[in-house]
Amino acid sequence: MRLLLIEDEEKVARFIVKGLTAERYAVDVASDGDKGLELAQTYSYDLIILDLMLPGMSGTEVLRHVRRRNERVPVLVLTARDALTDKVQHFEIGADDYLTKPFAFAELLVRVKALLRRGAVSRANILRVADLEIDRLSQQVRRGGQKVELTGKEYALLEYLMTNAGRVLSRTMIIEHVWDLSFDGATNIIDVYVRHLRNKIDEPFERKLIRTVRGVGYTIGREEGL
Amino acid sequence: MNTHSIRFRLTVWNAGLLAGLIVLFGVAVYLGLSHYLEWTLRETLSQQAKQIGETWLGEVGVSGESYVSEEINEHLSPKVNGRFVRVTRADGSVLFLSDEPENKRFDPTRVPPLKAQISQASLRKEHLTQASVLMIFALPFNAKNAGKYVIEVGASNHEIERVLHGLLLAIGISLPAIVAIAIAGGYLLMRRALKPVDEITQSAERISSRNLSERLPVAQTGDELERLSVGLNRMITRLDESFQHINRFSADASHELRTPLTILRGELEAAAQQSQITPELRETLGSALEETERLSRIVESLMAISRLDAGEARVEHTHFDLGELTSSTTEQMRLLAEDKDIALYCEADERVGVEGDRARLKQVIVNLVDNAIKYTPPGGLVGVKVFATNGRALLEVIDNGVGIPGEALPHIFERFYRVDKARSREMGGAGLGLSITKAIVTAHGGQVRAESVEGRGSQFLVDLPIAGKLSN
Repeated sequence: MRLLLIEDEEKVARFIVKGLTAERYAVDVASDGDKGLELAQTYSYDLIILDLMLPGMSGTEVLRHVRRRNERVPVLVLTARDALTDKVQHFEIGADDYLTKPFAFAELLVRVKALLRRGAVSRANILRVADLEIDRLSQQVRRGGQKVELTGKEYALLEYLMTNAGRVLSRTMIIEHVWDLSFDGATNIIDVYVRHLRNKIDEPFERKLIRTVRGVGYTIGREEGL
Repeated sequence: MNTHSIRFRLTVWNAGLLAGLIVLFGVAVYLGLSHYLEWTLRETLSQQAKQIGETWLGEVGVSGESYVSEEINEHLSPKVNGRFVRVTRADGSVLFLSDEPENKRFDPTRVPPLKAQISQASLRKEHLTQASVLMIFALPFNAKNAGKYVIEVGASNHEIERVLHGLLLAIGISLPAIVAIAIAGGYLLMRRALKPVDEITQSAERISSRNLSERLPVAQTGDELERLSVGLNRMITRLDESFQHINRFSADASHELRTPLTILRGELEAAAQQSQITPELRETLGSALEETERLSRIVESLMAISRLDAGEARVEHTHFDLGELTSSTTEQMRLLAEDKDIALYCEADERVGVEGDRARLKQVIVNLVDNAIKYTPPGGLVGVKVFATNGRALLEVIDNGVGIPGEALPHIFERFYRVDKARSREMGGAGLGLSITKAIVTAHGGQVRAESVEGRGSQFLVDLPIAGKLSN
């Protein structure tokens, strides 16, 4: 998979490249709009990550040019402005997703993966993490063969964690995905739900599956690393 | 009627001035006329007295006294003309006394006799009865070879009184009528003249920090009101500029803060990814990440507020049911309450339609309910209510929690204000939640109010313009 990152802030570019490389993506970096467009038109990328505020040609212009050639390459827009008008406008021009700075790298990664597999992945009906499994058709949850009763929101939260097993999900991502709240308030509702979920699926068992990653969010699955 | 309005006061002043002038004019006319009438009467009387003297009494020595009486009766006919005529001899005896006039205005016999001989012509008033006053002109006369006489010719001043009375009546009737017309006319004229002031006032009321681009209507009349609206418009322009300046500054500042925050966060996350770091370092990095997130939230909130204040944020403009949104949102937060053993009640009327940004208004509900739960101890109550009244959609959030101290109440919607510094920071707030709530509600043309008794609980009331009952 080959990705193009168009970002003028050197340090931002550096940690994105570092993180994506660790996930085994090949990443090219352009530090201004003109160079970015040149690269985008020369090579066939699987995904473009585009910052909007660029020296020279702006990100919006780059996006327009890319879409004018009817490129179907997915574009993830990064911006330091989050005005709703910007959001709507860029979806209209043809951005596929939109991420506001500052963002958790985990969030960027989830969005990148979602864009790359868009339409290609058949979503499995049964999801498994260790001895925990959920059936997305019947919405049943079993741990070690035993049935676990969850409320609707608890199930939605668990399903979201399990579809991204091994990946850290930020509170912003969880609240947007599970609660359809499009803001990042100070409410600790997610922490309360996660605690309830833990009581049901982790408490009775020795091996704990849901982990808190301080300052970032929650994850389920793999224990190594973060 | 507003008795302090310029219109009212000017009308009253004008009417008062006009009434005063009319009264003054009336008095002048009355005095002038009465003076003139008396002067005319005196002239007539003196002429008749002279006529009596020179024409008939002068010849009394030749033609005898009875001739004089006959001539007077024949030529002057005092009875018909309502005149009093008396000719008195030097010894005080009466040569001639006219009869009672036909109109019976006075009784000539009741006129008191002359007390002494007079040497000069004079005019006097005799009050015969209360109603009957006689003006009498007395003229001393020397008849040739026949000694001295006094000729008196008088007339009732009834005629004068009648004219003056008529004048008084005319003034008395016309004064209130004229003043009434002046008041009505003045009031209407003032209303016309002051109508632009009403328009300016109404337009000025509409202009707030969010629609400073609007201007007052300027009537091209070249008068003081045009100057007033032009002056006010210039002031609004200056306000607009400084507001834009502040908002641009907030937006720029938030924007400039985002890039370093992104880097900080990215670097910290990358560092925390390293598998060979010690648990202590991981803990430190985690703590730093938490603070970065909090900082991001503050920047986010500040930018949201400055955009809401600038009136930019109402892009999503839909018509939806506030009751439905409130009950579903409250339901989503129920676990928060249950977790603290707080009873959460929601009583939302359906089909309370409002118009605006659904996500933003949802944030208002979340903020208020979240606050209520935070500041209510376990075992407490939180009530949420939505209803429509008087064309307003009302959202009420009540709790029986710790409440807000009276001195803090006026400040709770200010940015970064905290009632209890230690406590709210511990709960992760930055003191911006209620500012955002207020900014959102204001951007939707509504108001938010708080009432509270410390130790007893708080009540937050959001008041939004209703967008009609939803049909379905």
